[in-house]
Amino acid sequence: MAYTPVDNDIYLTHMAEFIRLLSEEGFSVGTKEVADCCEALQFVGLEDRSVAKAALRTICARSQAEIDRFDQLFDAFFVSSDQKLENLKRAMKEQQELAEKRRQAAEELAKDSKYIDSDDNTINIYANLPEEEKERLRRFMDKFRGHADRNPKLYEGFIRSVFMKSIMEQQLLMEDQELGVQAVDPEVGLMFRDISQISDHEMPRAISMIQKVTKQINGELSAKKSRRGSSGVLDFKRTIRKGLETGGSLIRLKYRHKRARKRHLVLLCDVSGSMIQFSEFALRFIKSLSDVAESSRTFIFSEDMVEVDPFALQNMDMFVQYVRTTGLYGKGTDLGSALAKLCALRPAALGASTTLLILSDAKTVKLEDAQAAMITANQMAGDVVWLNPIPQRKWKHLRSVQTMELLCRMVPCSTLSELARECRKLVLS
Amino acid sequence: MTIEELKKKLDEAHYIYDDTLVTTLAVALKLGRPLLIEGAAGVGKTEVAKVMAYALDRELVRLQCYEGLDESKAIYEWNYQKQLLSIQVDQSLAKVAGTDSKAESAALTKSLFSEDYLLERPLLKSIRSEKPVVLLIDEIDKADEEFEAFLLELLSEMQVTIPEIGTIKASSTPFVVLTSNRARPLSEALRRRCAYLYIKYPDIEKEVAIIQAKQPGTSDRLALAVAQAVHDLRENDNILKKPSIAETLDWIAALEALGAVDLTPDMIAGTAGFILKNEEDMEELLESGDCGCHHEDGQPCDHHAADGQHCGHHHHHHG
Repeated sequence: MAYTPVDNDIYLTHMAEFIRLLSEEGFSVGTKEVADCCEALQFVGLEDRSVAKAALRTICARSQAEIDRFDQLFDAFFVSSDQKLENLKRAMKEQQELAEKRRQAAEELAKDSKYIDSDDNTINIYANLPEEEKERLRRFMDKFRGHADRNPKLYEGFIRSVFMKSIMEQQLLMEDQELGVQAVDPEVGLMFRDISQISDHEMPRAISMIQKVTKQINGELSAKKSRRGSSGVLDFKRTIRKGLETGGSLIRLKYRHKRARKRHLVLLCDVSGSMIQFSEFALRFIKSLSDVAESSRTFIFSEDMVEVDPFALQNMDMFVQYVRTTGLYGKGTDLGSALAKLCALRPAALGASTTLLILSDAKTVKLEDAQAAMITANQMAGDVVWLNPIPQRKWKHLRSVQTMELLCRMVPCSTLSELARECRKLVLS
Repeated sequence: MTIEELKKKLDEAHYIYDDTLVTTLAVALKLGRPLLIEGAAGVGKTEVAKVMAYALDRELVRLQCYEGLDESKAIYEWNYQKQLLSIQVDQSLAKVAGTDSKAESAALTKSLFSEDYLLERPLLKSIRSEKPVVLLIDEIDKADEEFEAFLLELLSEMQVTIPEIGTIKASSTPFVVLTSNRARPLSEALRRRCAYLYIKYPDIEKEVAIIQAKQPGTSDRLALAVAQAVHDLRENDNILKKPSIAETLDWIAALEALGAVDLTPDMIAGTAGFILKNEEDMEELLESGDCGCHHEDGQPCDHHAADGQHCGHHHHHHG
């Protein structure tokens, strides 16, 4: 096969750097992969970029998601010289455009420096605002500048809040883009997208993905159950019976295994306006896992709390409709009273063998009451796990989340992928 | 074997491939790495092993995995019946000869655990074969995690350890192909030892090529219509069991047997059982607006399949 002579040192250095990049990105690769990649490249040659890429992909990527990520990294790392030049030109042009945008933004903000803090970060975000949003803010400022000059006390705060709302929304958008939430593969993208951003037309696909993942988890569960290790106490009865097959010689020993005790699960789902979609997804997940618990009870709450009739959950397509009939839909959240009511139930819903699973974003009224009720629930239940649909990076801005985080094990579950991971832990632990 | 040589062999076997597939196969072969193939059911994962056996002119040794598969079914087992017979024959001989020394019984015990009493199962057979073989470990995701651990030694060192005999090294290195439908995730240790290939469903063009390679004589028009219809069914989220390539070929064969020259609603209704295998999917096909057939320009026919209405040139009621 064609062998392209290259300077060995440069070739090895580049290969090792690329493998290190893959490793930093979570690929399980090491020295052996460097050696294999070099051998593969010597074999296929470097003339055809796509062939070289396929050869390295074969060695380094080990799942469908890794294949997509590998392609992105390969294209970013190994650029052709033409591409390099083009990238450089584009980057320079983009830089110039950005500098111009920033200059304009700084000029515009300087006009209203009385009301708006024009620090570097704000200028940067303002510069990235879509043109129509900028135009809206300009019109707004033109309209209220006169009022503010006449009555600064009344209008200053109002102008600042409208302005900062736009700035913060743009900041969140920019953060999401940096996180790369939209993957190349739409299916993978859906797995890593914020659940609240899954639109109606994507619901069937999201639901079928949930079914796929739960099928996988159930498969793991049954594999785990049927695993027969050669340890534990000898089971004489079964060993003798098995020995009959080999003329009475006890060749295959059978062991007695401890029966795993299942837990009792109590689910407390927040169904206030912002939480309904997440709760629906999470419930679908947990309900489709076979053998998740010895028994499970589900409670839904917003301002009040009611126990869900288990038959109503058999058909999850009706869930939202069911929540509407309970009268809880679209109300505010009062976690404190819901938890207190749950703790006060007789016969008791919470006990030492119970795992309390809370599905909520922790945005509640009367935080102090919720805190006190949480301490009681913690004492009563064997374990308390809180699945929070708010991404972890935003927790530091929310006092209620910070308070509750100290009282129980709170895990971020903003995406289907995180939800799947937590459900897997819950079942397989 | 170079990439070009491999391509030639695959052409001979009438196997339709793309550059990624053939590069992956050639690299895995060159590095002597096992190849793990993942993909939905029916995309042709098993076929890769079969075609590689043909291309390399090797015997195909197949191990079908299932829940509860253990080393006695996959690697080796002692031939208990033969061992018992040996013991009885030896005891009878000793009685006749009137000798019963301890040394002899020790020798007998030792001989009972020799290769004469070993029953080879597919994995051991593949590494003890004088001529290298292609070893297909099919649907590894159906086997237990414990079984994956048995495989690790074989895949990384090409050897098997039998406690009574010792380590058996491979006489020849098999080309190992593992397939998985992703019913459960495989262990990281197993993945690390393998080269990886993910096979998607073929696009329309490739499926037409497959149909023409496997069913020579099929008209271009019918092949294109079937490939388009199958592609639409796979894209439809409401279809529970997506049609496999083998089912596409079965469908084509059924349509040809009926003398079809184009895909008409009548023909679809009469032969749907070859492509869809459950009642819900059949209902979905009949209820959905997409009846599976297309205009000549490739655009889907926009009439309802159940109402019997259809585009101009081929219109009748569904059966």
